[in-house]
Amino acid sequence: MQDDWAAEHLQTIRTLMERSAVYRRALAPITLFVGSLGVLTAAAGLVFHLDSLRAFGGLWLAAAVMAVVGAFLIARRQAIKQGEPFWSPPTRRVAQALAPSLTAGVCLGLAFVLAGVTNKFALAFSWLLFYGCALHAAGFFMPRGVKLFGWIYIGLACGCLFIFAIARSEIEISAHWFMGFFFGVLHLAYGVYLYLTEKGKNAA
Amino acid sequence: MNPEPFLQLDRVIHEKGRLAIMSMLAASPELSFTELRDTLAMTDGNLTTHIRTLQEAGYVSVAKTYQNNRSLTTCALTAAGHRAFAGYVSLLEQIVQQNKGK
Repeated sequence: MQDDWAAEHLQTIRTLMERSAVYRRALAPITLFVGSLGVLTAAAGLVFHLDSLRAFGGLWLAAAVMAVVGAFLIARRQAIKQGEPFWSPPTRRVAQALAPSLTAGVCLGLAFVLAGVTNKFALAFSWLLFYGCALHAAGFFMPRGVKLFGWIYIGLACGCLFIFAIARSEIEISAHWFMGFFFGVLHLAYGVYLYLTEKGKNAA
Repeated sequence: MNPEPFLQLDRVIHEKGRLAIMSMLAASPELSFTELRDTLAMTDGNLTTHIRTLQEAGYVSVAKTYQNNRSLTTCALTAAGHRAFAGYVSLLEQIVQQNKGK
């Protein structure tokens, strides 16, 4: 029986060590915030006809900056409320995992604008792909299906890029609709799911 | 069966609550008191007692700071704590291996 006991102890140690390294702050408020921002940004783009690549890129890059700052502030408020350090090791790991892909996405957006590329769909789907990669990387340090959420973005981005490559001349919908759906509606749906299923898990 | 590894197990770490605290601290440079309490579902009193025992054994260091006018207590493993924990895990592995080979 002693071998069972020792093996169980080792398993408990492994589980606790993994749990200790995982980011566990409540994601629902952050996801709902990002989703709302995505929908509002898409609405602004459609209402004000921000259709040039420069306007499109500028609007969505500004939205991305607002999303990052907002998520940062929400997580910080949660940490203060819980009496915990904000910049904890799991938070650092998540930030480090997100940073490369998000930076690449921002650089790509700026490069598109500077190069005068006019195709907004190529930019939108590339952003989608980078964002999916960022979520997937961060998912290694986060619970609750973040990796799967990342894969959904990667899959959608690849699918859209292929469809776009085949039938680009026939796409007549504004790119803001795509962005609003991918960065707004999908986040809102995931946020509602998290809100209904997260049970006071709020520690990083 | 050789009872030697079992007899060598560190009694301070071997207790369930303290083993849980040591395991969590071994995977993170430091953790706050509330993070430990919430993750391990312990009461304040229980956690304080275990941490004091670990502190007295020299395995855990406790630091009290202030963040946004609120006190923040953080715990971390000391070098001796890391060594003791590694030794404990190694002995458990020996016990498992020993019993596998029976």
